[in-house]
Amino acid sequence: MSASSDPRPATGVIQRVVVLPKHLHARPAGQVAQAAAGHQATTIDLVAGDRRANARSVLAVMALGAVSGSELRVVVTGPDAETVADQVVEILCRPEAESRQ
Amino acid sequence: MVGIVLISHSRHLADGAAELAGQIAGGARVVPAAGTEDGRLGTSTDRIAAAVALADTGDGVVLIPDLGSSVLSARALLDDLDAEPGGPRVALADAPFVEGAVAAAVAASGGLDLAAVAKAAEEARDVRKL
Repeated sequence: MSASSDPRPATGVIQRVVVLPKHLHARPAGQVAQAAAGHQATTIDLVAGDRRANARSVLAVMALGAVSGSELRVVVTGPDAETVADQVVEILCRPEAESRQ
Repeated sequence: MVGIVLISHSRHLADGAAELAGQIAGGARVVPAAGTEDGRLGTSTDRIAAAVALADTGDGVVLIPDLGSSVLSARALLDDLDAEPGGPRVALADAPFVEGAVAAAVAASGGLDLAAVAKAAEEARDVRKL
């Protein structure tokens, strides 16, 4: 797991960059989208290369095709951005075995 | 939590889609309604009504039909429910079957309401997979 955090910029946008320890396939994509559904006032975007997905859409997250070892940027805007970003990073970096539970 | 009913001619298809959606969206309530009473390919409003009753926890149910008479049976059930005030709130989603089921299940398990879950299913149409 590796995650670097930027200091909060004036715009109130929180960004985290994660090197994925596993493919962002169906199950973790579902967990990210579930978390996003629980924060309706907050916008969570995932950026992989030149692709960008709103985390609320499990299908869009899967379509990023983000594979293990690649860099993923998590961009969170809105209330509790920092907490939400931490939560998303935790899901993305959770070991495969635990995400199956 | 909003429930989801997957309507298909084929039990295997509905069961498999429900299994997949349930795996991706842990905690979602996804109920298949497929085949005829005697186990053949087909659709049955009675089986759909039973699935709706099973899926409903008071927050409503989204119906996702695959094609053809699944859609007609779902519509027939909606007409029946409309005629019975006080029954479950049901929304029919115009969505691709597998993708819609997965998107709806994730939205429902995330705590979204009936309209938002139906919308999540319908938005599945616009997401490219490549």
